[in-house]
Order: sequence, then C-alpha cells, then structure tokens
Amino acid sequence: MTDLRLSATQLERYSRHVIMDEVGPEGQARLLAGSVLVVGAGGLGSPVVQYLAAAGVGRLGIVDDDVVDRSNLQRQVIHADGDVGRPKVESAREFVDRLNPDVTVEPHELRLSADTIATLPDYDLVVDASDNFATRYLLNDYCALEGIPLVHGAIYRFEGQLTTFENDGDGPCYRCLFPEAPEPGTVPDCATTGVLGVLPGTVGCIQATEAVKLVLETGEPLTGRLLVYDAMDMRFDTVEVRQNPDCPLCGEEPTIESIHDVAYEGRCTLSAD
Amino acid sequence: MDVTLRFFATFRDAVGQKEVGREVDPGTTVGELLSALEREYDGLEGELLADGEIRSQLNVLANGRGVQYGDGVETELEDGDTVSVFPPVAGGASDAVVPNTDGQ
Repeated sequence: MTDLRLSATQLERYSRHVIMDEVGPEGQARLLAGSVLVVGAGGLGSPVVQYLAAAGVGRLGIVDDDVVDRSNLQRQVIHADGDVGRPKVESAREFVDRLNPDVTVEPHELRLSADTIATLPDYDLVVDASDNFATRYLLNDYCALEGIPLVHGAIYRFEGQLTTFENDGDGPCYRCLFPEAPEPGTVPDCATTGVLGVLPGTVGCIQATEAVKLVLETGEPLTGRLLVYDAMDMRFDTVEVRQNPDCPLCGEEPTIESIHDVAYEGRCTLSAD
Repeated sequence: MDVTLRFFATFRDAVGQKEVGREVDPGTTVGELLSALEREYDGLEGELLADGEIRSQLNVLANGRGVQYGDGVETELEDGDTVSVFPPVAGGASDAVVPNTDGQ
C-alpha cells in the first residue's frame, strides 16, 4: 500500500517497532501513512495523542472546542500549567511538535455537530475521547453510516468502558448496546462526580493500542466486546456485545439513515419533525 | 436459589454496593428480579424498567450475555447466575460543562 521508505532517523526512532515481525518496516510505514481523528483532547485524548504521536501515526486530527482549565491538569497530561486558558488543540499540537516531527497535527477547534463533522477531512479511523453523550452518539452514527472504524472509551469515577466498532457492515454499534442516551442530567460528568486522575490514562492507553492495531491491521480488536475496567478492585470484565436486530441504526429495519435524522442534544433519538 | 447482582457506575451509587447476593425462587425471571430491586432501592425506582421492559438506556447481562438478545425480561434465572446492570457512561475529556462551585 505504500512505498514509503524509512529514513535513517526514522529507523532509529522506530527501531523497537521495526524489529518486531508484527510491525516491521512495512507496518511502521503504514503507521506513518496513517491518519487518526481523536475527538477530545482531555483525559482520554491526552494519552491517545501521546502514544499515537510517539508511534508515528503520520496525520493526527484533534477535535476540541475547550480551553485548558487548571482543574484539567490532574489527568490531562499533554497540557501544562502554562497552558491554562489556551485552546486545548493548540496545547496538544505543541506537545506533538516537541515529541515527533514525523507527525502532522490538524487542530479542529470546534464542537462536533451534524454540520461541523462534515467539514472535517477524511481519516482512517476515529477515537472517541469525548465527554458527552451528544458527541458519542453523533460519532457512533456517523462512523457506522460512513463505514469508519471507531474506538470507544468512556470513564466514570473509578470505572472505564471500552469497545471497538469496526463498522465493516456487520455491526454491532453503540446503539446495539445502549439504543438511546440517558435523559440529560441523569448521568453526571467528571465535574460533578470527580474522576481518579490516572483512570483516563489507563483507558486512553487501551484506546491508543486499539487504534495502532487497526492501522496495522494486526491482532484482535475489541470488536463485539465491551471491556469494563474497575480501578478500585483492579478488575477487568469483558461483556459480549452483539449486533441487535432491533438496533435503530444497524438493525434489520433501521430508522436512522442519516445523522441529520437525529436530535443530538438530549437523548439522541430521531428528530420529532 | 442464589443469584449475584453486580452494579456499575450510577447504579452502584444508587445501591451503595458493587455486588449484592440474593436468594430467589426457582423460575424467577430477570424482569421479576429487576422489579424487586426497584422496590427495594429508592435510587433505582423507575430506573430499570419502563412499561415492563428493560429501559433502553441500560444494559442487563445474565452471566455475561445481554438478556435483550434472548428472552429479555422473561429470561429465567438459574442457581448461581450473575446479573450485571450497567448504564452508559460519557466522561472522558473536559469538565467545563458544570461550573465549579467555588466561583472559579
């Protein structure tokens, strides 16, 4: 797929990848030619950006409309004290620029919506590191309809949930698991409930692992499985996720055929019109 | 017979425990169990069932398999079963949605 040759500097930088049969120079070239969209440059997005940049994923799109707050720094490790008040996408880009000149960051300082998502360039896959149901359901629906692999990760206090949707036509999708979002306000966010600072680090690192495997097309992704992580008990449970025939998006009689059919603020169900 | 209930995220908060053991009559269904839980825990009232079906914002597993893929609320429990109840969680990035209460 690529005739990209690794330079001497790249061979040295990525030597611990190149030495492995599962990656090799071809796999590293694939990473350098690869592109990933990371939605959210916060707790989950920080380790995702760190490890994808270090791995040499050539093009990293980063979406976030927020600025760095001092209360972010307990877990959002790509931002520093001097970044407080600055756009997270800018701080993230500077982090990557310092780490790896092979990686081009495309900062998208915007809130994802059914309209703005269409303005983004194409990426090989999407990592959902967002913090709200509206964005999560939008990403799920968009990626399923467009056939783009999606790596899902979410956190709550001391717990994490992870899965991968390959979106290759067979399902499942996030709506197979949770057909619609909870009523707004019923599931609290990090500000109201708190979050153990290192928790998104663990979850984001697993998301980065999934993304690298998908770009390399190697290993077994978390397809059809929800990994539930309990940091307090240090316990990982795996839950089967099957395609739901009644799924409104990927079921036998889908009612969602376009992201414009859905009202994403609220419970992410069909528009009432 | 005995079954084990495991709660995640907000349901864990409502119940106050991660895991609860219960003794139920043979032939008890998932729906009957969830209904009993709603009566027992104030924080769960109306959260698990809607019109007799499992609410679409939560996921119920019996021994690791989603009951909605099988017989749903009619799924009969067996001795030693583990039933897991969990909601979706959304957290991950910023925490700017709710302002800090200390004024900053």
